[in-house]
Formats: sequence, C-alpha cells, structure tokens
Amino acid sequence: MRKRSIATNDPHIQALARIVGERAILYRKEDLMAYDCDGFTVHRHLPKAVVFPTSTEQVAAVVRYCHEHDLPFLARGAGTGLSGGAIPLNGEVVISLTRMKRLLHVDLENRRAVVEPGFVNLKLTNSVAHRGYYYAPDPSSQYCCTIGGNVAENAGGAHCLKYGVTTNHILGLEVVLPNGEVIEIGGNGVPDPPGYDLLGLLTGSEGTLGIVTKITVRLLKNPEAKQTVLAYFDEVEDASQTVSDIISAGIVPAALEMMDQTAIEAVEAAAFPVGHPKDIAALLLIEVDGISAGIDEQIDDILAICRRHHVREVKVAQSEEERARWWANRKTGFGAMGAISPDYLVQDGVIPRSRLPEVLREIANISRKYGLRIANIFHAGDGNLHPLVLFDASKPGETERALAAGSECLKACAAVGGSITGEHGVGIEKKEEMRFIFTDEEILAQTAIRDVFNPKNLLNAGKLFPTPGRCVETKMPSTVK
Amino acid sequence: MLSLTWIEELQEFLHPEQIKRNDSFHPLGNDGAVTVYPQAEEEIAAVLRYADQSGKKVFIAGRGTKRGFGGQREQADILLSLEHYAGIVEHAAADMTVTVKAGTVFGDLQRALAPYRQKVALDPFWPDEATIGGVIAANDSGPKRLGYGSARDSVIGLRIVYPNGTVIRSGGKVVKNVAGYDMNKLFIGAMGTLGVLSEITLKLRPLAKYESVVLLSFPSGDVHDIRSFAVSFLDTMMEPVCFELFNPTLAERLTGRPVYTLAIGFEDVENAVHYQEQWVERLRPKAAEMAVLAGEEAAAFWRTFNTVAPNGRLAQAENGIEAAVKIGVVNLDVLSILRESVLIADRCHVRIEAHGGLGHGLCQAYVHGSEEGVLAAMEELRQAAVRLGGYAIVKHLPFSLRQRIDVWGGKPSYFFLLEGIKRKIDPNKTINDQRFIGGI
Ligand SMILES: Cc1cc2nc3c(=O)[nH]c(=O)nc-3n(C[C@H](O)[C@H](O)[C@H](O)COP(=O)(O)OP(=O)(O)OC[C@H]3O[C@@H](n4cnc5c(N)ncnc54)[C@H](O)[C@@H]3O)c2cc1C
Repeated sequence: MRKRSIATNDPHIQALARIVGERAILYRKEDLMAYDCDGFTVHRHLPKAVVFPTSTEQVAAVVRYCHEHDLPFLARGAGTGLSGGAIPLNGEVVISLTRMKRLLHVDLENRRAVVEPGFVNLKLTNSVAHRGYYYAPDPSSQYCCTIGGNVAENAGGAHCLKYGVTTNHILGLEVVLPNGEVIEIGGNGVPDPPGYDLLGLLTGSEGTLGIVTKITVRLLKNPEAKQTVLAYFDEVEDASQTVSDIISAGIVPAALEMMDQTAIEAVEAAAFPVGHPKDIAALLLIEVDGISAGIDEQIDDILAICRRHHVREVKVAQSEEERARWWANRKTGFGAMGAISPDYLVQDGVIPRSRLPEVLREIANISRKYGLRIANIFHAGDGNLHPLVLFDASKPGETERALAAGSECLKACAAVGGSITGEHGVGIEKKEEMRFIFTDEEILAQTAIRDVFNPKNLLNAGKLFPTPGRCVETKMPSTVK
Repeated sequence: MLSLTWIEELQEFLHPEQIKRNDSFHPLGNDGAVTVYPQAEEEIAAVLRYADQSGKKVFIAGRGTKRGFGGQREQADILLSLEHYAGIVEHAAADMTVTVKAGTVFGDLQRALAPYRQKVALDPFWPDEATIGGVIAANDSGPKRLGYGSARDSVIGLRIVYPNGTVIRSGGKVVKNVAGYDMNKLFIGAMGTLGVLSEITLKLRPLAKYESVVLLSFPSGDVHDIRSFAVSFLDTMMEPVCFELFNPTLAERLTGRPVYTLAIGFEDVENAVHYQEQWVERLRPKAAEMAVLAGEEAAAFWRTFNTVAPNGRLAQAENGIEAAVKIGVVNLDVLSILRESVLIADRCHVRIEAHGGLGHGLCQAYVHGSEEGVLAAMEELRQAAVRLGGYAIVKHLPFSLRQRIDVWGGKPSYFFLLEGIKRKIDPNKTINDQRFIGGI
C-alpha cells in the first residue's frame, strides 16, 4: 500500500483507519477495483473499503465499529472462492486477513498446528514436510488460498476421498462474532468440547457466522508408500464403471480423479502437458497410499478392474517426478480451460457414485442443448463433479446461457439424490439452486441458526440462502411432507 | 397409580399397545410418566406436536444404555422410546452409504452390512444394546476413533423431527456436501436436546481384510517409558487404528495382568498388519512384554472391551455406586490422566478402571465405590483434566448423585450461542429439558 494520509471526509473510513492504521486501509475507487469480485467473476460490486488488520484485536475492533454503525462487512482470504462468497454485494467493508499469516505453533508429538487465518494452505505442509508430516486438505488452489478461507468453505481437494475435507481436520477456532466479541472453541485442540458442535457448524458457513482469526488443525504423518496409476479409456462409460467398481471392491484410494476429452484437450494445451493421447474419451488418475506391504495388492486389483473395463492403456508412475507431473497437469486443470476458451464457469455438483455414467450422459445432453462445450474434470471417487461450462462473455447472451447450463447440471445432480455443491460453496452463485435440495422449512431452519450468531445480518449478507419467495412464511410452518 | 387423564389423548395418534404407563421411576432418572413407542416418523412427529402444544415435557430414549448420562429431571411426562422404530431404510452398497432408522441396534446394523464387506466406522460401547440414534446423539466413540474418526466424520445426512413436529433434513446421501450450513453437526452429540433423530445416513468403509491387536504391557509402571515408546511409534509411518492405554486396574480385568498396557490395533491386508506388528516389536522397550491377538481373537478382545463401561440397561451395582467419566485432553496428556486415575483411586478409596487414546486425547474412567468416594474421585479427575486444559463430563451416574455434581463441568464462554440455538429450535424446552450442558 502507498504511504499517504487519509484523503477523505468519510468519518467511517477515518475511524477504521484509526483502528488498523492508515497504511492498512484502501478506500479509493481505483484501489477497490481489485476487490470487486473473487474467483466467481460473473458478479461484481465495489466494497466501501478494504482493511488489513494484523491482529485479532484489530479484527474485533473493526467488527465492533461496523456493528455499532450498521456498516455491512465481510471477511476475505485470498479471494479464490468460486461461488462469490467474498464479493461485497452490499458495499461491505472488506476485512482482508492476508496480513494475519503467521504459523503460530507446531506440535508434532500431538500432531497439530496453530495458524492465523491468512496462512496459505500449502505453506503449512511445506513447514512440516521435513519431519514427514503434512496438512491433508489439498484444494487445487492450495498454493495461494488461505486456511481461513478453507474453513469458511469447508474446502476439499483431490486427496479428500480417503482423508476427509477441511472439517475433519479442524480442532479449534478463535472467532470474532458479528458483534465484535471474541470466542475460542476447542481451545488447544482437545476433542469433543462439551456443547453443540460449533466447530462443525462454523466450518463451511461461508463467512456468515463469524470471522475466524485463529485455527488449530490436525497434521498427518506422510504415508509410507504411494503409487499412482494413469488409465486411458475409449469410452466414458468404461471409466465411470471402473470408478464404481474400485469403490465397491472396498479399495479406498487416496485420490480417484477423472477428466474427459474436452478437459484433456485443455490441459494438454496449457502449461503442464504430459502427453495424454488426444483421442481418448476419459482418463482416470488413481492414487493409493498406506503401508507399503499392502499397496501392491491394491494396485493389482485396480489394474485388473481397469482391464475388465477395456482400458486402452494403463500405467503406474515410475518416479516421484512422473507422479508430480501427472498431478500438476490435473491440479491446474481449471485454469487450463483458458487455453481453449475465453471464459469458463466451474460447477460443483455431487452425486451418489454409482450414478456417474447416467449423470455424465445428462451433462453431455445439457451441453448439446445449450450449444456450449462442457469439460469434466473432477473428484470421481467421491462423486464430486466439476462440469466446466466454456463460453465467451463477449458474445451477447452467452454468459446467461452458461449460467443456465451450469444450473441445469446441478439440477441433474439433485435429481439423482445428490447435492448442488461438494466443496466450492453456495455463495451468490448457487443461492437459488438451494431450492433443488432443501424445502423452505429447511432453509428457514438454517437461517434461524444464522440469526443466533449474526442477528443484524451485517456479516456477509445475501449469500448462501435463496431470497425468500412470496410463499415463504416468516415463521416456521409445522409440517413438511 | 397416578391419574393422568391426558394420556387418553395420546390414543388419537398411537395405538393403546404403543403406550405404557410407568408406576415407578428408574434410579437413573430420565424417565417418563408414560412411555410411548412410535413405529413411524409421523407418530414421532405427532407425539412431539402434541407435547409442544400442550406444555408436556418429552424425554427421548433409544434402548436406555445412556440413561445415566446427564439430565436434571427424574421424569418427564412422556418418555419417547425409539426401540420399535428400527431397520435399514436403504443400503446403497455400491455407493457405500446406508440410511437407517434411529432405533436400530448398532450391532444389528453392522451385521446387516457385513455380508457386503462394509461397516460403519465407529466402535461405540455396548454395540449390541445401544441404538445408532443414541450413539450419534451422545457422540459415543471407542479406541478406534484414532483410525475411524467419530460420528461427525461418518454421518452424512439426518432426518430430524423438530420439537414442533416439523421434519427437517440436513446433509444428504452423498459423501461430500457443503450446501448450506453443515446442520448435521448440530445434532451429533446434542443429547437429543434439539430434535429427535429419525433417520441417519452414514458413509461406510470396507471391512478390513485382516485385523490384529498388539498388547504391550509395561511392568515397570513408569509412564515415561510408555511416553517415549508412544512418541517414537507415533512418529513412524505406521497406521494403527487404535493406540489405547489401559491403566493397571482395567488391564487386569482385560488381560489378567495389573500393569499399564497399550492396545495397538491394526486393520489392513494381512502382510501390512504383520509388518506393523514388527515395528512395535522393534521399537518396544526391553522390559515391555508383547502379545498379539489376531483375527477372531482380536475381535473377541474388543467384544469384551466394549462391555466394560457402565450400561444404563443393566441392574445397578449392588455394593456401591458406579460412574463413568469422559475426559478430553491433548493427545499425549492422556498419560497424565491415566497416572492420575491410579493416584486418585488410592486417595479416594475407589476402584478406577481407565483407558485413553494417545492419538486422539479421549479417556474414559469407570469409577466404583461409595457415594462420597465416587463423587470425590470424579471431582479430582475433573481438576486433573482442567489443569491440562481439558474437560471431564460425567457419562453415567445415578440420578440422585447427578444433583450433587455438575455433569457437564460448567459453561463455556460462548454458552449464550448454545442457549440461543436451543431457544430457536425448542423455545418451549419440550424435549430433553435440562439434559445437556448448562441446563439446556
Ligand atoms: C483454480 C482454483 C482451484 C480450486 N480448487 C479447489 C479445490 O480443489 N477444492 C476446493 O474446495 N476449492 C477449490 N477452489 C476454491 C477456493 O480456492 C476455496 O474455496 C478456498 O477455500 C477459498 O479460500 P480463499 O482464501 O481464497 O477465500 P476467499 O475466496 O477469500 O473467501 C471465501 C469465503 O470465505 C470467507 N472467509 C475468508 N476468510 C475467512 C475468515 N478468516 N473467517 C471467516 N470467513 C472467511 C469469505 O467471506 C468468503 O465467503 C479453487 C479455486 C480456484 C481459483
């Protein structure tokens, strides 16, 4: 930030500057532009100001000020969220946690670490790797997203199939409530703190219940051995069936990822090509890990299942270098779409794993119906689809068509008993789609909980829940069929 | 016999044989003037709606193994038993998920899944008597929590009957889901104070191909030896599903030898299990003695283990009082708690059988002795836990003594949030009133 004194008469800006310091606030339009959206770029809105607190006390003071003066506000990590959770829809004061990025404590004997919310996900693993430990949740954005943002979104990643998502790794939180009060839950990481499971409730609440200022996480020991398999298929159907059969054979791979032909075209045209054949219909990237004495047996089983489903070619990574290349190719998959399309929209539906073939067929139909290409690159093992709708925002009407196609993909997921989001969150993007899976009463049951924490609804308002319809009563009706 | 005319009104939505009047009250409390046995979700909803609208109090029970866990009222108007609300609703074997009614006995569920080589990854106490609903509502877990996780890691969806009779679904049937708030979490471990769990959807894990448990006993009694072994073993890449320490009193019951004993469990393919056993062998201190129970022997060991905790369904202890305390501390502090359990037993002239997981930080202590001795021992256990930054809650105690000790050990600083949640969902305090922390 530039060195200069506050050049505005806005008393709120001046007051906030007194809390965080003049060098830790942005309020000029040209400075605010960078904060008008996050990874979901379809909606934009300028914040009132952006503040960069460096301590819990500063966060609490800013929040208290906003609370007292009825200023809307929200928290922001790295801004990589894909559903619009950090977009200041109401001209919020954005509280950026990027300067609270210290690793506060590592306790390997008890397998835990304490971080500030702005600490970047991958840095945690890097900080303990020399002792053979890691932090399990690994969103593809892990090189830049913050652990605070991960908590808010309950982020997942490729290796969550075996090791669980963020919520399974959070042991304690310090939280600034929307009125500025600071609470600590789970303190030093003692399991099952008595009372309702607020850790579980706050994780995944998309920054609408409080601002997380300190996080105690679980660390894991590296697995003794790891093997990675790449399998190429001529039919999507065969790849899907392979996924189902691996799961139902009782194998729990560390990761089980799938890409279809369009996705492969993109990753091969982008920064980390690995030479996948362009004419295959789908590939699977499968990783198993654990005790080395047990791995070969699992690999043999996986290879046999692949062959049973007419795999064209299947290979096991021969070196750590080869494995790393396969993963870099996969993990940069979303961005790779830029190589074949001006714009893309990521969707995030989840389905029961056995329904993969039919839902992928349905997504192909949706693609034809809207005349937009849809690439699929996703966490097949837990049924978490990422249809990427490719479009060109400069063509009139195409953005709307892309949004409609995305929404229809979610409808297809909901129709087979699935969910509209597995890891990216509802945010602004999927608010209305909440109705695909929840009744009005169920949505009201959730907003009732929000009101306990955030009664003035100043914190990140207008996210997560659909705008109440005319037919929705304001109090809870008594039955649901 | 009490004359309770309102009981007739229950017959508007229940058959007479689903309604049972109670003449005497259970010494563990949490009883009802009348017990009702709904067999369908609509009946559960009807009972709650009736109670909520007519100012009646309802207690919720599975089969009563946890009757002595919390609760400051001896009886409510209605005891809602889910005993007859049991069975699997849907087992999607290919998706590795199951939906089950809350009154299903945990062991019955596991036995139904076993032919598919699948299981619910939880090891609660008294699996052949406890219902899945009770296990989830009380957030019960055993030594294998280290490898399995706890209820919050397995539950993916719930149907909950709210106190006003509304049915609310949380989560769903898929293994990964962040749509809306993670409402499942609110009801897990809520001791039935927010709603009646009706149906529970769980993700499943494959049954292990092979299992063993290594019993490593430390005759020296020196916890430093145990600590240094634990630290070095837990720093390897081995993957024990449990790493549970028994105090000498409990070890004597389970193994016949009154010395600190570690139970280290492995579940994997046979090769991998033996390989890990060899690591234990390699790292163990010279003085420690090692025995391996494999396959069915290991399973039998855990079956016995699972019945060491007091059980609210059994007759009360004849000589003296029986209590159970759950203690949470940071992982390795379990060692201090177990050591304290030995000292406290001496000081308070009670018998304490205790165990705790060095990889997860939860301990259970079963205290047996005179009223005064048991109360004093529980208080001391709590002090020891609090000194270490942890907590102790009383999981089993006769009703009369629950008046004399704070079962939940005080309120957290954010208690107003817990109270606020309760008030939103159950403003009339219709269900399980005063069963939970701070009297909610
Ligand atoms: C290329 C790419 C790949 C991705 N891959 C994955 C993936 O594999 N898995 C996955 O789950 N996600 C993925 N994401 C989405 C995104 O990275 C995650 O949601 C991440 O957790 C967001 O973190 P952030 O720091 O960027 O948060 P932001 O985007 O800044 O904020 C996200 C939300 O969290 C709130 N928030 C942020 N910090 C706090 C805090 N301290 N307290 C309270 N609320 C807070 C915000 O208000 C907002 O609602 C990907 C995104 C991109 C761009």
